[in-house]
Amino acid sequence: MTDILIDLAITLVKIGFILGVTVGFFAPILTWVERKQSAIMQDRIGANRADVMGFRALGLFHIIADALKMFTKEDFIPDGANKFMHTLSPIIALVPAIITFAVVPFGGQYTLFGKEVNLVISDLDVGLLFVFAIASLATYGYVIAGWSSNNNWSMLGSMRTAAQMVSYEVTMGLTIIGVLMVFGTMRLTEIGAIQENFFRWGIFLQPVGFFMFFTASIAENKRIPFDNPEAESELVAGYFTEYSGLKFGMFFMAEFIEMVTIGALITLLFFGAWHVPFLSTATIISLFDFLGATGSNIVAMLFHVGVFFAKVTFFIWVQMTIRWTLPRFRYDQIMNLGWKILLPLSLINIVVTGIIILALA
Amino acid sequence: MAYYVDRNVKLTWWEKSYLPEIIRGMYITSRHFFLNLFGFIPFLLGQKKERPIFTVYYPEQTVKYPMAYRGRPVLAVNEKGNYNCVACGLCEAACPAYCIDIIPGSNPGKQNELERWPDEFTIDMAICIFCGFCEEACPEEAIFMSDMCEFDMLDRKQMKYNKEQLAVSTEDLKDRIEFTRQMSGKWNYSSSSR
Repeated sequence: MTDILIDLAITLVKIGFILGVTVGFFAPILTWVERKQSAIMQDRIGANRADVMGFRALGLFHIIADALKMFTKEDFIPDGANKFMHTLSPIIALVPAIITFAVVPFGGQYTLFGKEVNLVISDLDVGLLFVFAIASLATYGYVIAGWSSNNNWSMLGSMRTAAQMVSYEVTMGLTIIGVLMVFGTMRLTEIGAIQENFFRWGIFLQPVGFFMFFTASIAENKRIPFDNPEAESELVAGYFTEYSGLKFGMFFMAEFIEMVTIGALITLLFFGAWHVPFLSTATIISLFDFLGATGSNIVAMLFHVGVFFAKVTFFIWVQMTIRWTLPRFRYDQIMNLGWKILLPLSLINIVVTGIIILALA
Repeated sequence: MAYYVDRNVKLTWWEKSYLPEIIRGMYITSRHFFLNLFGFIPFLLGQKKERPIFTVYYPEQTVKYPMAYRGRPVLAVNEKGNYNCVACGLCEAACPAYCIDIIPGSNPGKQNELERWPDEFTIDMAICIFCGFCEEACPEEAIFMSDMCEFDMLDRKQMKYNKEQLAVSTEDLKDRIEFTRQMSGKWNYSSSSR
């Protein structure tokens, strides 16, 4: 009985941690990062006007100001809109983005107070499949948002979303097959554990797969250069044209949390998860042996979680840099890239991977 | 000159493969990013940065406008405290937006004193288009375009500036007066005698 309670408590702590990191930390801080990084990149100063008692803190108070504005804004539903669907769609868009984190491990296995703690909320056998299954559910949110707003631009935007997400999910899935072939497992914790060996990092085993996966995942997230669904110059704001207040904020939050998910997946699949090259978990634990078994495990755990989120932050930075560097693709160019370049390349990638695995076996 | 966009640019194989060019672009933007990011460190230590950021913190800092800038019109007041304006109404006639409204005052019969002046000189800044025709039309160097361009009122009636609000001394307008003399050249014959 107590075992169940302890397990429950540990799971709740992990859920709280993930929610705190994604919704509580990354989503708000990324709104600031996006403004500030683009400003610094373009030789500007960026957000720095909101101040509390004369302190500006590099514009960090803009997060609070934005949140206050979102909460107090009028929640506008257009006349011809389907009110139920209109309210439901931001939730459908946001929830999958958070749920995917249920199977994403952010650290290895540690023995704390004689108990095995696995730093993942739910260690599914089909973790990787689960991520894609849930992530593609978000499409419904976007399509329903466009359809229920009763607005031409929204409808066009959601149609584009559907087309783009369907085409790039194919590439993404096929890229993942290459990763599954080299790691031989779909369990994300195992994929992470295998990469303790530096030469087994995904980037060395699947270099082409990394670029294709990154491209496809940015396209999935509908950020520039693949932001046709919300192209400001063509479709006003795409599928969320008719949204305001916190509902608009939820779409925004979904986008930022998806960025974190993409960063986490890329770290997990290609860049050694929570491991630092040539520094195995056993080495860290033996280095801090003087703290006792639990103490050294805690040090290793904190170190690994820190390393994991540092890597995630780096990949979020890369996504931001791409977003503020590249212009938008034309619609036909996106489709060409998806179906004529990335899809054949991912198929070739699978074949070549298979041949190499056979040759080495 | 006609300008044609070449829509048939042939991309090389290198450019068509996207990736190298994307990495090149990202190199440029992240170079700017890191130069500016670490540029903040000397700034915090009180030293001048190598790459200054040109952004102006507007309400606290302002830019000095070039002399040719046309802000709101002002009336020149000479050293004796009188308006240069003689209420001839040429600016009123020249004004394409009809924003100037003059009621003249005169002093008939008395020699060697001020003969004519504007009793009322109203410019509606909500209508003014800042074209500068009044300045060109003025034969008396009385009305000038200034560098003042900030209007903020809660009421349109306040946008009507009377002659006290428009008054600026010739001392402050020296540079602009010199500029208009050079630009239009119509006062060149008399500039020495004045």
